[in-house]
Amino acid sequence: MNESLRMVVVLSVIAMISAGILAQVYGITSVIIEENQARALESSVFEVLPGTTQVNIIRRSADELGVDDTKEMREKEQKTSLIYQGVNDAGQVLGYAFVGEGNGYGGTVRVLVGVDEKSNQILNLKVLEHTETPGLGSKIEDEGFRKQFVGKKVEDPIKLGQDIDSISGATVSSRAVTEAVRQGFDDTTAVYKGGK
Amino acid sequence: MASLWKDFVRGLWDENPTFRLMIGLCPTLAVTTSAINGMSMGLATAFVLVCSSALISLLKNLIPDKVRIPAYIIVIATFVTIVDLYMNAFLPNLHQVLGLFIPLIVVNCIVLGRAEAFASKNTVIASAFDGLGMGLGFTWALTLIGSVREILGAGSIFGYRLLPEGATTLGIMSLPPGGFITLGILIAVMNMIAARQKAS
Amino acid sequence: MMNLFVILLSALLVNNFVLVRFLGICPFMGVSKQVDSAIGMGLATTFVMVVASAATWLIQWFLLEPFGLPFLQNMAFILVIASMVQLVEMFLHKTSPGLYRAMGIFLPLITTNCAILGLAIMTVQGNYTFIETVVFALGGGLGFTLALILLAGIREDLQFADIPKPLQGAGIAFIIAGLLSLAFSGFAGLV
Repeated sequence: MNESLRMVVVLSVIAMISAGILAQVYGITSVIIEENQARALESSVFEVLPGTTQVNIIRRSADELGVDDTKEMREKEQKTSLIYQGVNDAGQVLGYAFVGEGNGYGGTVRVLVGVDEKSNQILNLKVLEHTETPGLGSKIEDEGFRKQFVGKKVEDPIKLGQDIDSISGATVSSRAVTEAVRQGFDDTTAVYKGGK
Repeated sequence: MASLWKDFVRGLWDENPTFRLMIGLCPTLAVTTSAINGMSMGLATAFVLVCSSALISLLKNLIPDKVRIPAYIIVIATFVTIVDLYMNAFLPNLHQVLGLFIPLIVVNCIVLGRAEAFASKNTVIASAFDGLGMGLGFTWALTLIGSVREILGAGSIFGYRLLPEGATTLGIMSLPPGGFITLGILIAVMNMIAARQKAS
Repeated sequence: MMNLFVILLSALLVNNFVLVRFLGICPFMGVSKQVDSAIGMGLATTFVMVVASAATWLIQWFLLEPFGLPFLQNMAFILVIASMVQLVEMFLHKTSPGLYRAMGIFLPLITTNCAILGLAIMTVQGNYTFIETVVFALGGGLGFTLALILLAGIREDLQFADIPKPLQGAGIAFIIAGLLSLAFSGFAGLV
């Protein structure tokens, strides 16, 4: 066989076999990955809205988000366009939870914030995802820092240095969480309270 | 049998990828903020190394010499993606911590280096043993670096607290500078041990 | 515009690829014995970074994403990077022999520089636009060059220093890199 033809054939066969195997593996794992993510988020909603036994997902439309650029829309949709409404056994709406994002030291910080339906105060906050420095920035997960947000309303400043104290040595990470809460709170309240 | 043993132990000390050959350094520094992270990264790399070395050795006569590097890269990338997907599905927390450095196993010089230097010239079994030795050599090195940094930086090891809550730790050891400095000092220590060995 | 400047500065200093993100450590240690070769390596890497990240961006958003093939990302990217390196090498060889002599020997090493694949994956994960990707690549490449030149400059001077034997070579280089990294952590909070 011609040498260069043989090279092409061998490489193509290897590439095709690889792609085939990967497609199989992806088919098996992608289902589990999505389930994991959905379950993790649901159980997080239970955490930030105590007493919740069922979660309703409310989708926000592009109008409500105030964006028309498609790429921006896609980003928003992937990350923050969902509101999670927590309902208890009796069918009573307890509150709602939203995901907020801020830019930390190592990357994006994502937090889930639970808000009480009646008092409109923050009930609890959970850091979903961060790549902050272990031992320093990772302290944003600690109870002591998080409980500063509890009881805050959308009218409150929620600003680092004003009503939220920074973790010493981790200002950037603290600011990321604070901004994530602030931004998400504004966006969500407008839609959830206004849009209903 | 004796030669297989030799292929296996070579990677553990004499040609340890981290301390002697000094290759594959990016994950060595980046994920070793704790012992468990270091060990997991090492084992993931070891898995890729064993599989790709064995398969490349199996295919060595089929692959034309001129396109061997792209062929090796495809084989390695396949195994890396498999590890990436399975880890994401079954160990999501770990996958999140190791993050970017899982796909980057593809460009870990150890994997391609062993494919080119060893697997392309030796039998399947010998290549697998060589990959396993190198992989475990990499794993213990990463676990050691991770342990040192976790003990000094967070006061714990494998997540178990050694120091009481609130004790002052050297936070800098968990940060990037601590990674460089720990590796520098450990390399010096390994050099001393090797020099002693030679002398005796 | 402001956003682009922040991306550039962040990639260059605050999240320096080598000293903070730990990408591209192998060439950082391997080619930092002399300032001249450090400059050559740094610029060659920056060039490949910009070209390759532009190519991988196109592949991701016009090929992998529309056809639902995200699991081929890793393989496609590394093959694109390897071919880009080859193309750059051939192009330089034909058009600019001077530049080729200066950069040529570094080019084959660049394929396995994890900073390039890492950068390509990061721009996809971060949902960067095309312009943002190119600016990010430029910042990352220049940051790599800066770190390389700094370390090479210090190592050149160290040749005359009396270093304990076990620390000679890589040992002391890592400790210096640690100190540089410490200095760079001072940039945190800049953006």
